Amino acid sequence: MKQELQLKLQAYVDGELPDHEAGEVSELLAQDTEVRGLVSELKNTRAALAGFEADIKLPENREFYWSKIEREIQRFEKAETAVSPVSIFAAWRRFLIPASAIAALVMGVLMVGRQVGHEGAHRGPETETTFADSGAFTYRDYASGMTLVWLSYPAENDLLETNPGNRLD
Amino acid sequence: MPDNNNSSTDDKSLVRAAQKGDMVAFEELVARHRDKIYARAYSMMRNEEEAIDLSQEAWVKAWQRLKQFQGESSFGTWMTRIVINLCLDQLRRHKRQRAESIEAMDEESGGVERQMPVVTVNPTERLERVELRQRIDQALSQLSEAHRTALVLHEFEGMEYKEIARTMECSIGTVMSRLFYARRKMAVLLSDLKKPQ
Repeated sequence: MKQELQLKLQAYVDGELPDHEAGEVSELLAQDTEVRGLVSELKNTRAALAGFEADIKLPENREFYWSKIEREIQRFEKAETAVSPVSIFAAWRRFLIPASAIAALVMGVLMVGRQVGHEGAHRGPETETTFADSGAFTYRDYASGMTLVWLSYPAENDLLETNPGNRLD
Repeated sequence: MPDNNNSSTDDKSLVRAAQKGDMVAFEELVARHRDKIYARAYSMMRNEEEAIDLSQEAWVKAWQRLKQFQGESSFGTWMTRIVINLCLDQLRRHKRQRAESIEAMDEESGGVERQMPVVTVNPTERLERVELRQRIDQALSQLSEAHRTALVLHEFEGMEYKEIARTMECSIGTVMSRLFYARRKMAVLLSDLKKPQ
């Protein structure tokens, strides 16, 4: 007997065969003893297994069996409770570690940028006292290529010499 | 300790109470369904100790997921599906631990069961219930895990082919083959077991 027919007969026994195919199998059953034999065997096996599980009983008494379940549930619930505060800490840690890394990276980039800026051609504007004693100030804007020098007049030192009363000390 | 006041309450009320955290109600549910849940685990695993452990694990899982149970099926059916899934996971672990090349070959070639002559006489006809149970027990133990699982899901759980296929993560054709070889082998084994009498 072909495997296809064997599986069809099984589906017939299990009630999983479409109606039109079930009709074909019914005709075969009337004609073929081998088909009848296999269907009978499949039905007998099904019948033998029916109700088999109902006789299987748990080999432990109610209290003993339950005690392990209860213990596991309590252990799980305790673990859940204990895990919660750690979770908040862990969540903070998860946030802080990348935040710190990003901050460090930004700082590094800024510092390098500043260093390069000082050495490079595209520097930002700066102001310096060209001659400390003369009261001359220089303003340079590298971006626009502008330099501005101004002198305080009268010079601060001269003013102090001419009007000593202006001294703060 | 069990509370006998719950013994007359129906499953739905007990489930509702357990969902609110009533452990006594849950214990009553365990007491009511423990044999069935253990029996299913035992049918699939064929090992008493493993079946007890898995059935207890199923109850712990059920407690943890109890709020997800909406009552679409009966509580018993819901529980049975939990233990079946745990058993399938365990069987998959078993499978990973040892090569099942012989079983795979059997499935590909159609297995020896396909060629065996049909058992014309019902071998279990005159057996007493206890003896029949013992023989089926022995015969089930001799099936491969894949064949036995298909048989258990169909015969004991009442699953249709497509549902078994989904549960066992295989095709309907594979389910039909496994079921067929499992039944044929059972028939032959039960027949062989009768011979010494």
